[in-house]
Amino acid sequence: MFKAMLIKEFILVWRDKYALAALFIMPSVFILIMSVALKDTFNRERTLLNYAIIDQDQSLQSSKMRTFLADNRALQEQHVTISGAAERQRALHENLHFVLTIAQGFSESYTQMESEGSKLQLYAAADVRPEMLSLFKSEIALGVTRLRIEKMKTELAPYLPELAQELEAIDFHGEGLVNVRFNALAADEKPTSTQQSVPSWIVFGMFFIIIPMSTIFISERKQNTLMRMSAMNISIPALFAGKIVPYMVINQIQVWLMIAVGIFIVPFFGADALTLGHSIAGLVMVSLGLSLAAIGTSVLIAVSVATVEQATTIGGITNILLGAIGGIMVPKFYMPSSMQELANLSPMSWGLEGFLDIFLRGLGPEAVVVDSLKLAGFGAGLLLIAGVVFSHRIRRGI
Amino acid sequence: MIAIKNLVKRYDDLLALDHIDLSVGKGVIFGLLGPNGAGKTTLVSILNGLTGFQEGEIEIFGLSLEQEPAAIRKRCAFVPQALALYENLSVLENLRFFAGIQKITGADLRRNLDYAISVNRLQPMLKQKAGTLSGGQKRRLNIAIGLLNNPEILYFDEPTVGIDPDGRNEILETIRNFKNDAKTVIYTSHYMPEIEKLCDEVAIIDRGRIIRQGLLETMLQEEKTDSVVIELLSSSPAQLHELVQKHEDVEMIDAATLVMEQQNSTKMGALLAALAAENITLKEIRYGTTNLESLFIRLTSSSHEGSDV
Repeated sequence: MFKAMLIKEFILVWRDKYALAALFIMPSVFILIMSVALKDTFNRERTLLNYAIIDQDQSLQSSKMRTFLADNRALQEQHVTISGAAERQRALHENLHFVLTIAQGFSESYTQMESEGSKLQLYAAADVRPEMLSLFKSEIALGVTRLRIEKMKTELAPYLPELAQELEAIDFHGEGLVNVRFNALAADEKPTSTQQSVPSWIVFGMFFIIIPMSTIFISERKQNTLMRMSAMNISIPALFAGKIVPYMVINQIQVWLMIAVGIFIVPFFGADALTLGHSIAGLVMVSLGLSLAAIGTSVLIAVSVATVEQATTIGGITNILLGAIGGIMVPKFYMPSSMQELANLSPMSWGLEGFLDIFLRGLGPEAVVVDSLKLAGFGAGLLLIAGVVFSHRIRRGI
Repeated sequence: MIAIKNLVKRYDDLLALDHIDLSVGKGVIFGLLGPNGAGKTTLVSILNGLTGFQEGEIEIFGLSLEQEPAAIRKRCAFVPQALALYENLSVLENLRFFAGIQKITGADLRRNLDYAISVNRLQPMLKQKAGTLSGGQKRRLNIAIGLLNNPEILYFDEPTVGIDPDGRNEILETIRNFKNDAKTVIYTSHYMPEIEKLCDEVAIIDRGRIIRQGLLETMLQEEKTDSVVIELLSSSPAQLHELVQKHEDVEMIDAATLVMEQQNSTKMGALLAALAAENITLKEIRYGTTNLESLFIRLTSSSHEGSDV
């Protein structure tokens, strides 16, 4: 019986080009786009911010300030002439993130700017992200601090030459000052954008089955094939099992297809290749749990709504909402604590944490048992509710 | 084969089947006739174990439907009014799927597949997708799926809806042939010429009650009248009602049907003149009709009168 159902479901999906696109092509393209779009997240050579300096002081100190800012490779000075407010506004609108004006008198007052008033005026583009503003302000503060240390060094050198030498040795942007070691990675390893983004989009992609699965189910309901199967002694649990098994297989194909894209295709586009982590068993556990959660959601939608159009709309919205709440679209650490608590209720969040444990944190199957069981329980619960709703509808002849 | 006693089915406050008693013997083609909403589909759904019931007893093959539904369903097949098949699967894939879920395998599968295909003349289109078949071919496939378990009882719920006369005749011919294979057929329809052509026995059901049941031939003989049925193309109910009031022995069945109880040329002449004066167009006049349709009209209209009292 299951063999017949499995074959039927595969043929129906295989012959539905929209279902194929939704199940396999879209998630794979997602993985590719997101990996390539975020590929420079951990690249220290990459320019994050463009800025210009209007140097009205024309002093040795203002010139050094310019040099100090240029030491940070994430910042790129653009040498443009800005002669008035209108030009500055246009430049900030078009390609600059910041314009820093170093006012006349900076060289005399940089040691007492806090008390005498700052000679530095920073203009920021309206769409600058807060963390980028913090980064640039820190760099300015660091530049002023370096100027002050240089002054101290010059003044102390005749009296305390050893201290002046120590001050000289400080490397503000070198690797030697702070060693960074990423958890669960080797000393010379750093996380890649592929490793961080692929798990999110695998979770999201697996829930893409909601639309094709629920639309096929509703078509069967509408065409009375489900009723016919009931008349052929097929019970509701058997009917549901006949859906669960094929779509679990489809979900597994999806997962490994997306992983294959991460490993083999993404590097062709200049991003880092995905690595699998250390636990295939853990990966399978999480993905099976996610499958059951996605299938439970699909079946509940399919038995609850009346038309294919309703299933498509509600399925799509459910997918996006679960993704938004579950930290797929906006990482959880960006969310306020109340939203993070809400995110912890989303099955996509459990799946994502499970995948991150495997892909990013290098953990084993024991680390994902709880998340996998939560996902399986969620899916089983929804299937149970769907069974009650469906048997009620059959009894009512709807 | 099928014995129903005192069957009651309610949907909340609506009494869908009202103390039904019915029996159908082996090898009989049994017509279940009634207007829309009479309870035919509900009765067939109950017999197929798709819907429960509140009171009464049903025995099929001598087994209680309540106690052994699975054993009974294994020996029956239901051909629903809707085309319950997969349009994206080929004819053969549809047949194999529905055989597969009924766990029909090996020699049984080959024999039953051959039978379903040959009876419904599906051989030339086995590889064709069901969605590309004509209406009549789809209906035949719908029936073929019902034959896969080689059922002893076949339930047909209005199986000829929406197909042309040729296709309808082909299907009726197919169903008539089941008699030769000793299969029992329960056939619901509100299309009376079909029932008349096909069935040995008939039950007329209206508002959840069986108002007449028996051998079709006997029923028609017993109910033979001297009435005349006048069918009209168009009229307004109010206009027709007013007109009927002025003519003795003429009864208005609906906005398109009048019945004159006795053949009377003077009265008929007056009635036709009155219709012409009101610009009401005639479709057909049937004299001395004793067909199922006039019997059905008479029985269902008197049933409504009774219930109004």
